[in-house]
Amino acid sequence: MSRRLGAIGLAYAVLGAASGPAHAIEPPVFVDEAAAAGIEHAYEGGWEFFVGGGVAVFDCSGDGFPDLYLAGGSNPAGLYRNAGTLGGPLAFEAVADSPTALTDVLGAYPLDIDGDGITDLATLRLGENIVFRGLGDCGFAPANEAWGIDGGQAWTTAFTAIWEADQTLPTLVFGNYVDRDAPGAPWGTCHDHALIRPDGPEGYGPPRRLGPGHCTLSMLFSDWDRDGVPDLRASNDRQYYRGGHEQLWRLQPGVSPRAYGPADGWRQLKIWGMGIASHDLTNDGFPEYFLTSMTDNHLQVLAGTQVGGFGFRGRAELRPAYDDVAFQLDVTLHRPHSGGDAMPSTGWHAEFADVNNDGFTDLFVAKGNVEGMVDFAARDPNNLVLGQADGSFVEAAPAAGLVTYHRARGAAVADLNLDGLPDIVVVNRRVPAELWRNTGSGADQPMGSWVAVRLAQPGGNAHGVGAWIEVRSGAHMWRREVTVGGGHAGGQDGWLHFGVGTAERVEIRAQWPDGTWGPWVRTFANQHVLIRRDEETPLVWYPPPTAQR
Amino acid sequence: MRSSILGLAAGLALSAGPAFAQPVVGDERTVRGHLDHAALAEGALSVPALIDAGRVLFSTRFTTLDGAGRPLATASEVPTRRPETGTPPFFRTSGPDANACAGCHIQPEAGGAGDFTANAFVAPQDIEYDFDSISPDLSMERGTTALHGSGLLELLAREMTADLHAQRAEALAQARETGQAVEMPLESKGVPFGVLTALPSGFVDTSQVAGVHPDLIVKPFSQKAVTISLRQFTVTALNAHHGMQAVERFGPHWTGVADFDGDGMAEEMTEGDVTALTLFQAVLPPPVQVLPDDPILAAAAARGEALFGQAGCAACHRPALPLDTPIFTEPGPYNPAGTLRPGEAPVVAVDLRDLWGDWLETDDQGRVLVRAFTDLRRHRIADAETPHFANEVITQNFVPRDQFRTAPLWGVGSTAPYGHRGDLTTLREAILMHGGDAADSRRAFEALSDEDQAAVIEFLLSLQIVPRGPVNPALDRRAEVQP
Repeated sequence: MSRRLGAIGLAYAVLGAASGPAHAIEPPVFVDEAAAAGIEHAYEGGWEFFVGGGVAVFDCSGDGFPDLYLAGGSNPAGLYRNAGTLGGPLAFEAVADSPTALTDVLGAYPLDIDGDGITDLATLRLGENIVFRGLGDCGFAPANEAWGIDGGQAWTTAFTAIWEADQTLPTLVFGNYVDRDAPGAPWGTCHDHALIRPDGPEGYGPPRRLGPGHCTLSMLFSDWDRDGVPDLRASNDRQYYRGGHEQLWRLQPGVSPRAYGPADGWRQLKIWGMGIASHDLTNDGFPEYFLTSMTDNHLQVLAGTQVGGFGFRGRAELRPAYDDVAFQLDVTLHRPHSGGDAMPSTGWHAEFADVNNDGFTDLFVAKGNVEGMVDFAARDPNNLVLGQADGSFVEAAPAAGLVTYHRARGAAVADLNLDGLPDIVVVNRRVPAELWRNTGSGADQPMGSWVAVRLAQPGGNAHGVGAWIEVRSGAHMWRREVTVGGGHAGGQDGWLHFGVGTAERVEIRAQWPDGTWGPWVRTFANQHVLIRRDEETPLVWYPPPTAQR
Repeated sequence: MRSSILGLAAGLALSAGPAFAQPVVGDERTVRGHLDHAALAEGALSVPALIDAGRVLFSTRFTTLDGAGRPLATASEVPTRRPETGTPPFFRTSGPDANACAGCHIQPEAGGAGDFTANAFVAPQDIEYDFDSISPDLSMERGTTALHGSGLLELLAREMTADLHAQRAEALAQARETGQAVEMPLESKGVPFGVLTALPSGFVDTSQVAGVHPDLIVKPFSQKAVTISLRQFTVTALNAHHGMQAVERFGPHWTGVADFDGDGMAEEMTEGDVTALTLFQAVLPPPVQVLPDDPILAAAAARGEALFGQAGCAACHRPALPLDTPIFTEPGPYNPAGTLRPGEAPVVAVDLRDLWGDWLETDDQGRVLVRAFTDLRRHRIADAETPHFANEVITQNFVPRDQFRTAPLWGVGSTAPYGHRGDLTTLREAILMHGGDAADSRRAFEALSDEDQAAVIEFLLSLQIVPRGPVNPALDRRAEVQP
């Protein structure tokens, strides 16, 4: 037999050159199905609603399909029950007569406050913040009085929560913006925040003022140094503060938070902070933070971290000093990528997710002019930048069909039809929200492989907020922190999505909020996997063919 | 999705690319051109020509000029960079360890089994470094198996997977409808796979599922039944054993670089190349029973077959499984990401009946009887009394160390040595090493008289690979379409 293929005449394709442009898996194609899906919702209102416009994604019906709660500003907030099918077109039905249909809502975050297995909802309002207890089947009841939560009367634009040690209920922080009643408002009149800690397993004590506030637009409890105690990060709007900067408070149980300062290594960064996204991009076990702003978006890594490095460093070295690597990784996102507007860009909600399941984390950023700021781009499309093998990002919104020129605010990247491909919902000012279905490559495949993970443990913190999830396949590792907060005025409660590329199977473990490591749990890709504390086998969940109606 | 069944006579003559139109003096490349999968799906090559192409790729001794070697990549099935460089081009344990597929798969012909010296050292995917030890702490040693009839095995597995997935869906539907947990016995083609419990919430408990991974994908290949398809194995093995990286997993699509293994070569194996390799393996004709000419031996073999059943061997080594549709489609429906999947490329389909005709035995329902002597599932095959088959320390792909796929026995008369690491020289030794779920059958064999034991061995020796080409000569019309 000949050892040369040419001898049998099959050769007709010539080897290409070894070098050339390197691109990871292509962007998925997104299709806006908002109108067809039954979402008719706009975020409107006066200047107080130039900010806000968040969306909460969570399953209020109990069928496993994510439902939506969209802030409306001067319009009533909208609660939409998922009415779609597994992997099918997106479909929602407005929930009529819901007590959550409040006006003056800027945003909302879902979380199971009372640990009853039904997700509750914290709303951020111009005026009293209302916390709703989930009743199931998308029913809600105001719970401020029952739980002893003082919703205040401020202009609330941020929220985050964490279960502090041994507490049944989470500590809540409502982040406030401008104190409109202060002399000289809005300039230099940033409001303090409300720190609300439980006073027992049933309810909360009075709020404590957390300040100084620097006109915060996003807050996030995150364990930046992995010491087991998440600290409180605030991203602040320099438009209104005087002498302010980005903030990080150290939180210890029973003690008033202490702001990190220059002596700790914390650098006083001044940006128009709008949103926070966190993810361990460098695979070193510590989270990186993407901060949206007007033009000068930042991607912060712990100072000295090598991008693409591995392994934990000595904890003693850790100081809350961050370098900005946005420029090095092509993710400054400072100008519109499309539309021809050369003015600077304005970023709002930011969220990391692997939208094509190639194992490289991507980033979505909602963009849009504040209202009529002529020094900033009027045509300012959202970004979808795809993570590359070398750690950099490449703009893919045009290729993904994701280009519009509205004033986007809040958003969420979530798998709304449970097909393993994260979809995107975007709340816009004055024009209808967008609902982008991720149709993948059109090949009826989830592109790369994925796994959706949720944690379960006994006690109040049933879903392990504050835990870290590790997913590994061979030498590859993906890590995510379970958080409540961040983004811009909205968040999610549900499955955490990991794109795992070509991995057929993975091992998953959790470092639970108390620091305990769980065992590696073996499972196969392309499934929804529940990791239970102290259990070595996962429970795999299969979505129903259709959502309950 | 496009799909068309390729015919024996279908095909267009293909011309060599211009770069190769003229011979090159001193050319040491062995792969001088590549196949295009989409063109193959359009019938660019007749089936015999496509199989020939696969046979040549299977047998060719790859050179560095073809892309052999992977100085910057490990053997991992998931594209993984080496943490260090400087390893030699060949590495007996962690690979690359072979020039050609047929370097090991060669007895009695290309695609066949291999001698003990052709054993492979299989590391789990999380081995990210080179290892120079055959310690069971680090690797699992595997004998080279014969691939004859593997197309039929993959088709059986696909149908069984579809059955199990349908049963899971039914259990979930019942649980959701009734609000009660549903215990669903899993079964396909008469083979039980334990019990799945579906909860009304949509969660499933697979702790009582047996013989198959919790994903309920019947994986017919590798000793641990962990490989879904010939194509998946081929892509992994090309990288592991040869350092020939298939574009569909190691190319820019998944790795971001054109030359992931850093050997200066890109597109070392195209989708079309892998398709040809896969189809060549898939259409290696199934082994057959060859009764000895000697009437005494022939009678013993016939009696041994009956004793094989009576001893309980056939409970797992099922003499035949029925196959509904003997059409081999490529890529297969259950391939994972990184192995070409339907929807990513048009489907190439080959009707094995067109190739093999009356080589295929059918039952009264028209189903093809695949006489592979396997149930395509895993069983516990070792225990404290008989631990030989649990002679490794690490687990492969989540499978307990004492569990192995029921080895298909067709062809065992041609494929010594035996056992998953090829460390047993006789069939009798292999039988006597059965423990665990097979302990009773082993004891039943041990209880047979010497004469009856010999008859069982004679029966097994009659299961042989007979080199006969991929196409039944009576149906081979290659001469009609080739100049």
